[in-house]
Amino acid sequence: MNILDRIAELDRRIIFLLIGLAVTIPLLMPIGLPVDITKPVKDVYDKVESLPKGSIVVVSVDYDPGSEAELYPATEAFLEHCFRKDLRVYMIGLWPAGPALGNLALDSIAPHYNKVYGIDYVNVGYKPGGMIMLLSLGRNVGDIVRADYAGTPIDSLPLGRAVKSASDMDLVMTLSAGDPGVLHWIIYFKARYGTPIATATTAIMAPQQYPYLSSGQLVGLLGGLKGAAEYETLVRRKARAVAGMDSQSIVHVLIVIFIIIGNIILVYQRRVR
Amino acid sequence: MKRTLPLIIVFSCGFFMIIAFFVPLRGFQDVSQTFQNWYTGVIAFFVFIGIFNLVKVNLDKIQRRLRDWQYSIILLAFLSMMMAAGFIGGREGGIFLYMFENLQIPLGATMFSLLAFFVGSAAFRAFRARTPEATLLLVAAVLVMIGRVPVGYWIWHGFPSLVEWIMNVPNTAAKRGILFGADLGLISMALRVLLGIERSYMGGGKE
Repeated sequence: MNILDRIAELDRRIIFLLIGLAVTIPLLMPIGLPVDITKPVKDVYDKVESLPKGSIVVVSVDYDPGSEAELYPATEAFLEHCFRKDLRVYMIGLWPAGPALGNLALDSIAPHYNKVYGIDYVNVGYKPGGMIMLLSLGRNVGDIVRADYAGTPIDSLPLGRAVKSASDMDLVMTLSAGDPGVLHWIIYFKARYGTPIATATTAIMAPQQYPYLSSGQLVGLLGGLKGAAEYETLVRRKARAVAGMDSQSIVHVLIVIFIIIGNIILVYQRRVR
Repeated sequence: MKRTLPLIIVFSCGFFMIIAFFVPLRGFQDVSQTFQNWYTGVIAFFVFIGIFNLVKVNLDKIQRRLRDWQYSIILLAFLSMMMAAGFIGGREGGIFLYMFENLQIPLGATMFSLLAFFVGSAAFRAFRARTPEATLLLVAAVLVMIGRVPVGYWIWHGFPSLVEWIMNVPNTAAKRGILFGADLGLISMALRVLLGIERSYMGGGKE
């Protein structure tokens, strides 16, 4: 049995071990690879920069703990940018666990900018109903939102009173891990009410958004942890996403090496037969 | 009547909503909004149906000692604990938030992160260039995988631009084709349901 035959029979636990090492070693000993900025991410940043002080940004937290590793860093980086620009944040969630994750991000960022709940930001919680809910929300927010996440009547909060329909929303940022999510915001909210939509998605969903980027239905896109790392770089807040880039780079290289070895074995086995 | 009445409801409500989407008259919009609000209310009850179904299926599994029935006990125990914590202490503090932050988030992230190991194993055993089409897909995948991470930019500064081109041109073209096909199918299916040609959604049963 030569070396290629031995590699072909490689125990998959060794592959798991190599992946584990490729993830953990760069986290413990960062390499500091440079993060380039792509156009879809820069477009989101520029859109936020262009909004005047006091504009209302809807942040829709449409993911759950399963996608937290990819989307939470984007949530924090985006909120930091909004608060730094003195924009008002109206948080909502199309997924049941989303608003709770959004609250964690708000609690960690808002105090640094002395933002006041109810005036500068509000979390109205999970709203079920997907596409139909979005149509109703855009026409009359009061039909969907009667209280915030904690149960406080929405009309008792200044920001709650300020958002009556889609015309009061200057930008929607959906942090999306699936359905319902970014597609519903584009198809049912953007198409009907014309509100600009930006998104941060999991890496696996990012290629699906490019038709909407090129058609102008999406302002911009933060794809996966890399998109979050680019945004962190733009807002000069190097945190979890930038820290994860070394690991992700090494794991991608390792997977490409696995693919190459696997195909060398394929060619070899064909010749032997 | 058992079949005719649902068909009439589906036909009239469906076509009314289509018309209301394009006709901005106030009367149409008000009725349409009422329908939408009813829908949102009905959807909220699906959560209860989901929980009821989850409990029923898992209780049945425990009673009949089906495969891995022990996991059902853990599931029901934690479901009860989270619900009790939420009802007693509220969602914004105490034990509910503690369990959300220290159990649900890390466990969810752990489940998702296992994918890295399986993708690594699949890359070695399954991503094989057996046909010209598979080779093309594999080459594109390798370019995107390297170009989408900082190491690609480090190797060659043009890598990210190449990846953006792959995403913007071949990927978008293929995706648009798929979307058009799927949407045309969706429209034809919707028309079949509205016109009563497709009736499988009503289940079995006689008139």
